Order: sequence, then structure tokens, then C-alpha cells
Amino acid sequence: MDRTFRINGHDHALTIDPRDILLEILRDRLNLTGTKKGCDHGQCGACTVLSDGKRILSCLQLGATQKGEVNTIEGLTGPDGALHLMQAAFVRHDALQCGFCTPGQILSSVACVAEGHATSAADVRAWMAGNLCRCAAYPNIVAAVLDMAGVTEAAE
Amino acid sequence: MKAFAFTLMPQTSADMFIAGGTTLVDLMKLGVVAPQRLVDLRDGGAHAGISVQGDTLHIGALTTMAALADHPAVIERLPMVRSALLQSASPQICNMATIGGNLLQRTRCSYFRDLASPCNKRAPGTGGGAIGGDARGLAVLGTSAACIAS
Repeated sequence: MDRTFRINGHDHALTIDPRDILLEILRDRLNLTGTKKGCDHGQCGACTVLSDGKRILSCLQLGATQKGEVNTIEGLTGPDGALHLMQAAFVRHDALQCGFCTPGQILSSVACVAEGHATSAADVRAWMAGNLCRCAAYPNIVAAVLDMAGVTEAAE
Repeated sequence: MKAFAFTLMPQTSADMFIAGGTTLVDLMKLGVVAPQRLVDLRDGGAHAGISVQGDTLHIGALTTMAALADHPAVIERLPMVRSALLQSASPQICNMATIGGNLLQRTRCSYFRDLASPCNKRAPGTGGGAIGGDARGLAVLGTSAACIAS
């Protein structure tokens, strides 16, 4: 089947199998490997992307039924390669160790702030609960998100 | 009566409907369900509305969990419903999963999801792996002689 995907501001016309999952289309067909395959069952959040600005799990999204414009971690970086402010906040707060979950964490963080849900450390923890970090960098992730949201609060 | 178009939705037992897909796609990956054909209910975008009529909240089956949780009437008058929605799934799942799909969600029992295990619910007559197995927390809504995760 033929589908056109709008990803990071560009259209990609692809012939896909009805079984193709958005995550695999991004990684294997379009070489956008910043989006990671973690559990592949919708539990870890490593594959989080934005669809029309809303965070979704690309591992549970069939390419055939994807409607919205997709933004991946590659789309956050400026045209001159400059880091997105959230990426810079993650660097500043050392909000990662191995980094595998980081693209999903950052996209989820961008949505979390845009939704207005980054008002306190407790709020950030609740609204970032869909993104697991096996290195347990959670305190620094919370600090980065609060910093980006302009909230002054010591992360517990 | 105004004129209308009438079509029959062709459906056999080998067809399945998909909306948010958060359960169905997962079960298809596991091989627990294997539809011959998928019908995307979201094409056209109907049945996703929420309306308040008196003391009744009407929720379209294709409304996402997030849309329902964020509806002003739910925020103001049904905070318990909002809390239940937000606690039952991640923000990502809430953005995808629909209320209709919630009602139709299959059991989360690990034996149902594991093709190597017997499961009367998935394949009637094969046995119940959860009976005598690791069954902590499985039976929420009732039990039967054939399945304790029903």
C-alpha cells in the first residue's frame, strides 16, 4: 500500500506493507534511527514520537493508520545543528547515563512542557511516567524538565 | 426523512476493527490475534465527540482517553474519572487509546499473551495456565472453572 508520511516537515512517499510499524518505518526505511526500539510493546516509552504535537508510541502505531505529522528527535535540532532548548537542558543537568531512552524522554518532555504539565517535580514525575530509564537518571531528568519549564524547585 | 447512503460493513470472523491499536497491535505482534483484514474505525473521524446533556455525559467510542480526561466537564465534575484515566495508562497511551477500545480490551493475563502457555480464553479447551500458575493479581472481575483471569 502507498502512504505519504509527513515527518519533521518533509513528505515521504513510501510503499509499505500493512504490517509495517511506524517505528520500523522511521528507523529502517527512513534511517531516522534516533527513535529507539526498547520493549516494542508500549511499556517503556523509548519509541516516543510526536504526532501532531501529541506524544505517541511509535512501536504500537501501524504505518497504515498513521494520520498526523510526525516529529522525531532528529526534527528537534535546528537547521544549523543547534540543540533544542530541551536537549540543552538535558546536557546541562546530566539527565542521562547510557542515553538509550533519551530521545523518547526528550520528546515526551517537550510535550509535557507544552501541555502545561511541568509545574512541579511531582507533576513532572506523573506526566513523564510513560518513559522508563533503566539507568534511573530520573532526578536529573525531572530537574531538566523543570528548568526548561521555568520552574524553580529542587528535584527530590 | 432526509436521504442517506447505506452500506454494509463487510465483516467475517477474520476481520477486526482497529482504533487506537494499543492493545490490538501488541496482540498481533505476539501472534495472539491474527486478523485477515483490519478495518480502521478512525477513518472519517466520527464518534469521537463528547457532549454534556443535563446530568449525562455522552462519550463517543473513538474519543481518546486523553481527550476525555481533558474535557472541561470531566475536569470540573468528574475528577475521579479523570484521575482513573490518567492513572491507568501512560500519557502516550492515553493519546492513542480510545474509550471504546478500553471497554473491549482483552485480558492482560500473561498466559493469554504467551502462545507457549495453555489458555482457555485464547484457545478454548487447551487448559488454564494461570490455574496453579503465577496468578497473583490476575483475577479482577471474576473467576470461572476454566479461567481465573476472566
